Amino acid sequence: MTSRVRRRTLLAFIGPSVLALALIGIGPLIFAIWTSLHFYNLTKLKQVHFTGLENYVTVLTDPIFWDAMGRTFLLLGIALPVQIALGLGTALLLHQPGLGFLKTLTRLALVLPMATTYAVVGLLGQVMFNVKYGVVNQLLGFLGFDQINWIGDPDNAFIAVVFWDVWQWTPFVALVLLAGLTTVPGEIEEAARLETKSWWKVLRYVQLPFLVPGLVAVLILRTADTLKLFDMVFTMTRGGPGNATEFISLLIQRVGFRAFDQGLASAQAIILLVITIVLSQIYIRVFYKEVR
Amino acid sequence: MGLRSFVSMGALALALTAGSAARVSAWSLEEAAKPYAGTTVDVVFLLRPGYEAAEQMIPEFTEKTGININITKLPYENALGEQVRDFVAGGDLDIALIDLVWIGNFAENGWIVPAETFTSNPDLADPDLDMEDFFPLVLNAFGGWGDTIYGLPFDNYSGLLFYNKCMLQDAGFDGPPQTWTDVMEVYGPALTKDGKYAYALQSKRNETQSADSFARFLWPFGGSFLDDTFHSNLMSPESQAGLKFRQDLMKYMPDGIVSYDHAEAVNALAQGDVAFITEWSAFYSTLKNPDTSQITDCLGIAPEPTGPAGRKPALGGFSLAVASQADEKEQAAAWLFIQWVTSKANAETYLRKGGVPARQSVYEKPGIAEEFDFVPALVESWQEGVPEFRPRFAEWPEITEIVQEWGTKMMLGEVTTEEGAQEIGDRMEAVLDKAGYYDGSKPLLQ
Amino acid sequence: MAADARAIAPGQGGRLAVQALLLLLIVLFCVFPFYWMVTTSLKTQIIALQEPPAWIFHPTLSNYAEVLFDDGVGRTLINSLIIAICTTILAVGLGCPAAYALARFEFRGKKDLWFWFITNRMVSPIVLALPFFLIVRQIGLLDTHLVLILIYLTFNLPIVIWICTDQFRSIPYDLDEAALLEGASQWRIFRSICLPLAMPGVAVSAIFSFIFSWNELMYALVLTRKTAKTAPAMAVSFMEGYNLPYGKIMATSTLIVIPVLIFALIASRQLVRGLTMGAVK
Repeated sequence: MTSRVRRRTLLAFIGPSVLALALIGIGPLIFAIWTSLHFYNLTKLKQVHFTGLENYVTVLTDPIFWDAMGRTFLLLGIALPVQIALGLGTALLLHQPGLGFLKTLTRLALVLPMATTYAVVGLLGQVMFNVKYGVVNQLLGFLGFDQINWIGDPDNAFIAVVFWDVWQWTPFVALVLLAGLTTVPGEIEEAARLETKSWWKVLRYVQLPFLVPGLVAVLILRTADTLKLFDMVFTMTRGGPGNATEFISLLIQRVGFRAFDQGLASAQAIILLVITIVLSQIYIRVFYKEVR
Repeated sequence: MGLRSFVSMGALALALTAGSAARVSAWSLEEAAKPYAGTTVDVVFLLRPGYEAAEQMIPEFTEKTGININITKLPYENALGEQVRDFVAGGDLDIALIDLVWIGNFAENGWIVPAETFTSNPDLADPDLDMEDFFPLVLNAFGGWGDTIYGLPFDNYSGLLFYNKCMLQDAGFDGPPQTWTDVMEVYGPALTKDGKYAYALQSKRNETQSADSFARFLWPFGGSFLDDTFHSNLMSPESQAGLKFRQDLMKYMPDGIVSYDHAEAVNALAQGDVAFITEWSAFYSTLKNPDTSQITDCLGIAPEPTGPAGRKPALGGFSLAVASQADEKEQAAAWLFIQWVTSKANAETYLRKGGVPARQSVYEKPGIAEEFDFVPALVESWQEGVPEFRPRFAEWPEITEIVQEWGTKMMLGEVTTEEGAQEIGDRMEAVLDKAGYYDGSKPLLQ
Repeated sequence: MAADARAIAPGQGGRLAVQALLLLLIVLFCVFPFYWMVTTSLKTQIIALQEPPAWIFHPTLSNYAEVLFDDGVGRTLINSLIIAICTTILAVGLGCPAAYALARFEFRGKKDLWFWFITNRMVSPIVLALPFFLIVRQIGLLDTHLVLILIYLTFNLPIVIWICTDQFRSIPYDLDEAALLEGASQWRIFRSICLPLAMPGVAVSAIFSFIFSWNELMYALVLTRKTAKTAPAMAVSFMEGYNLPYGKIMATSTLIVIPVLIFALIASRQLVRGLTMGAVK
């Protein structure tokens, strides 16, 4: 339930946040937009000039940009369903009665992946997936499989990235969904369980509506974060071998930080922002309809 | 004139000469630094042995001059970005650490001060500076742009052939390969067996690919990045021969070589997995250290193999120059430091602490070549290199990204050497065109 | 939780065993890389690069000693702590009232405002790093704690607002109504009634805010040098590429993870209750 309040009260509650974000965030954003409309290269500052939408055209017609976008969405398309499936499974397991100690242990263990610095995860990936002294290959050997060249092979490097993304964020999904499960009123759940033995039916008809907001949150956050994914991939593969793991943020970093073409990088980032906003709006419209 | 007056005139003349001679040789660091005592000089250092050596020497400098050196340590990958941002935003750095491929960039943007400003100043210039004592190739490549010298060579490398003597002996060789042809036809097949490989070429998709992998197989085969008109020379028969040679040589290299960076290649040799590598001279200490290497007694060092066009070893290194954004005092103090740390007198100290100076005189001292076994190979390598091993102009950051991308794609077999070279060539020319090299607005300097 | 109060029916032993096994697998999956990280931090370089990798070896604390005493990692950990705590306090302090307003007040453009808050988290820091650098340098705040505390607000505030808005929404309105009838101000209601009830959400958003600030790298690399250098920036600076000191890097990383773990441990109960994200309307 909401109520109308005096404008002063409203400003008092919301004002500081808006002010803080506006002051801190607006300046750089405007700078980014401005540079995206200019030729702006840090090592050629004497040649800064207005170029209008030229940077945007360059970006949108550059096959490398679309390759990187495609790769990023492929990553999202593979990693996200896996995270949701595993996360949901974990949440359901944790929602069951009994095994109190084990459940607490699991909840604690779930915090570990999220708490590890992303850049370190990448380096850990290098160590663990190393073709010679990596423990993953050693374990594969125990199970009777061949040694796999992870980081040196384009496809395997991609899989390694998917693996770490899943490792790091499934716990987040699991916790969000678990929280959603706890909001299902106990009586309804019990009644449903008395009616059917199928956990799937209980999930689909009783629990799902309560999980939707959490799912939407996960969708939006993971999409935004995958589009910004940088640290982990950079330290593990640098975007290689070749282009295999060059996701969109790595491309932007290459253009902005290595070639110093800030104008182009800004254009790429703005386009990325627009895409993220559009996708988020779609998620909200499509999914929240069910709840509202 | 009588004899007496003659003698007294002579005595006077003698006294005057002696007096002025005394004044000339009275330049000392302490005197020169007096006006600048208490100044702080800011510089960026890398996390490499040469810099640690310098760091150990700094207390002596500060004691003599009262000048403080404030060091910010960065990994190589961030060093360029940090300095560029600092210079653009008018920051604190007083000394520029210049990788040889950055010199065009820094010089054209006016961020560094020509050395002459200081060498022509009798208050600051050390009469023992002796620029001629620097290896000409190194001085020119690391510190010079066009006809001007900006910086003095500080952290100096050459590509060297590090090899496992024992592995070679076991395979029946009594010496390292002299030519790349030998490598391909004789050493490669003989040493690649039983899970071991003959050679590892660091090729990771960063500056390593451009400098270590790509360029290394262009020059010895007669190829180059650009021709005289600054158009791409990668499609020339020589360049193609070199690139194809590299592709072919991959069969004697470990799998996944494209993901090998310096650490992996050095480690492969150190663990006894490959027979030889061509790596930067700085890795000598890693390979000689029993904590990090298993082949300390089997380590052999030689200059890189020659190709049809001769020996063109990989060239890399850093010079120190004075930053133009520093104020007058800081500039003077900075110059005094740069001059001191790269001086003839300090070269041996620098060498003993783990650095690699670029002074010819230090390597000619008796006993040095025996004590540091990389010296003969190093000195020989620095006789024959090319300064534009990688073009050093301001457009290099953009171009190296292109080379890295397509160079690795070539190695992965995603494009042929012709297709890759064509792509690099086209994109490179687009960059150079936009920069104005083709319509004459920019001089053809690399 | 009502669900937990359900009795375990007889004959469910087998099911329980399967559940236990699955939970163990999950724990293993989460913990194994961390275990590898810690053991690597106890190895010397030669052992770390051994082929095949060593499970049993002679551990050494030299990496930790070096990292803490020679390389100054301790200082960076303190910096990270200061920055993460301050920005979390700020984010929660600013975000809770805003979340309350979004949950309880009616006004035009509410949905859009909520969305604007969220979008702040979507811009790539890579591109904003340069303008931030230029601006920060101008006002002379480079390499200070304050600058990171403020900049981290841009992605912490949205999370706090998101989580807390939903948490506030799920609080029954009757208590509010009662208080309003007694003439209490909105602020009173917020502070005395709703905030305590929303603690799980607040705690969770504080944890996430802390974690994200703690692990942030890009801005820390660009905007700090020595004084305010954070621990992740320090860990990365070991990755020179020439000679990767795996032991030292892993030691630094382990040190980085521990405070977060402690923080999460303390608040782990709240972790789940607070993440409802709008499930209850």
